[in-house]
Amino acid sequence: MNDLIRQAIAAEAEERVDSRTVLANLHKARKRKPLGLIVGVATLTAAAAAAAVVVPMTIKKTEAAPPAVSAPQETQNVLLIGLDDHNFTDALMLARFQADGTAVSVVSLPRDILVDGQKINGLFAQSPAKLTAAVEKTTGAKVDHHAAVKMSAIGRISELFGGVAVCLKAPSNDPITKAAFPAGRQVLQGDQALAFLRQRHGLENGDLDRARRQQVFLADLASKITKDNALTLAREVSGSITVDDGWDLVGFAQRFTGPIGISVTTLPVDAPVEREAGFGFEVDPAKARTFVEKALDQGGSSGGSECIR
Amino acid sequence: MGFDQFVADRLDRLLGYATAITCDKHLAQDIVQNVLMRAQGKWERIGAMDAPYLYVKRMVTNDYLSWRHRRAAREIAVERGELAKHVPSMADPADAHAEREAMRARIAILPRKQRAALVLRFYEDCSDAEIAQVLGCTESTVRSQLSRALQTLRTHELARSATLGVHS
Repeated sequence: MNDLIRQAIAAEAEERVDSRTVLANLHKARKRKPLGLIVGVATLTAAAAAAAVVVPMTIKKTEAAPPAVSAPQETQNVLLIGLDDHNFTDALMLARFQADGTAVSVVSLPRDILVDGQKINGLFAQSPAKLTAAVEKTTGAKVDHHAAVKMSAIGRISELFGGVAVCLKAPSNDPITKAAFPAGRQVLQGDQALAFLRQRHGLENGDLDRARRQQVFLADLASKITKDNALTLAREVSGSITVDDGWDLVGFAQRFTGPIGISVTTLPVDAPVEREAGFGFEVDPAKARTFVEKALDQGGSSGGSECIR
Repeated sequence: MGFDQFVADRLDRLLGYATAITCDKHLAQDIVQNVLMRAQGKWERIGAMDAPYLYVKRMVTNDYLSWRHRRAAREIAVERGELAKHVPSMADPADAHAEREAMRARIAILPRKQRAALVLRFYEDCSDAEIAQVLGCTESTVRSQLSRALQTLRTHELARSATLGVHS
């Protein structure tokens, strides 16, 4: 019977349309919209990998002796950088901390943004200054400071909390790492958490879906940080976070006295284009600046716990 | 491998595969076109994989199995089921063409996922592991999908032979 099945299926496949028709349609589509509309990059809501910086902030504050004199605080823009093991940028967020320490607004920047023909995700490895300059050029916002965290540390941190809760709309399988996640609410920690944060293969919108995962994951993580666990956390992450030299963290952290409202959005991008550096997103500086200024000023949607891809 | 090269090498095969799982060349064309446009945007990643073809095939399969095409798939199956009633039952069983058409019709009304597994095995010559990867399920699920499909086809085959009074 197997031969018969084979013949039947082959006969069915024989019915296929002429591939030249499809080829012609692909070419037409390419002309109309360079690469098809990849992402309805709606504003991606959720809270932030700000945790990367909120964490050390909370910590420094706890470690420091009770503030003798509270220096007047200023609003500051901090670039939050999540690094993979090769110092490529897996997560990139520009965060504005309000002077009174009650709110932080965050804009996720897709890692495939092209600046001067180079992908933004490789710049940190060349030099942190190059990355901050590129971000300033793209967003028009001044980067006062930056903090970089090894993403691998996040996996360990998640264990301290007994896992971090996320919710997936559909089961996902990473064809590369073989990491598999079922649909629905689940608690992730350790390597699994890391695999979740890193996956972009097998997701419909690749890195953009990943950015969303990072936001949701870190929102839950951030919500779990308390005075009581901050010190343990500090010990765990201190080796994994680097900040720029001129940054007075202790002074900066004094602004935080209570819960912090986090709002997050993602810089919208158009269809990707092909450049020497590969496929990436080109950003219209004028549009990006308007968007970023508004998002940092007024905040995007606040981080919810809705289900994501 | 560049995207254009991939398309040149694999488009025809991909269309054949999509047509075989959807049993509808127009739906197959739509799915393949859409998937390729999406794949093009992510080609830097896909092209660097060990098996880009397997990955794209997975995209095609997922697309077909998604809710978006549930209604279309059902309509196609109904239509094919109707056709099957009229075609081969009175034909000479020795007629290889009739045999094959009857089998085609039976495959066309299998559940979508079973048919996809069947096509991956008998058209694409995939291993259980590869099928599992494309369908995003475990190998044991693949085996059960395949055996259920074969069981159904065999039952029909036997019934048909009996009706026609031949021994298969």
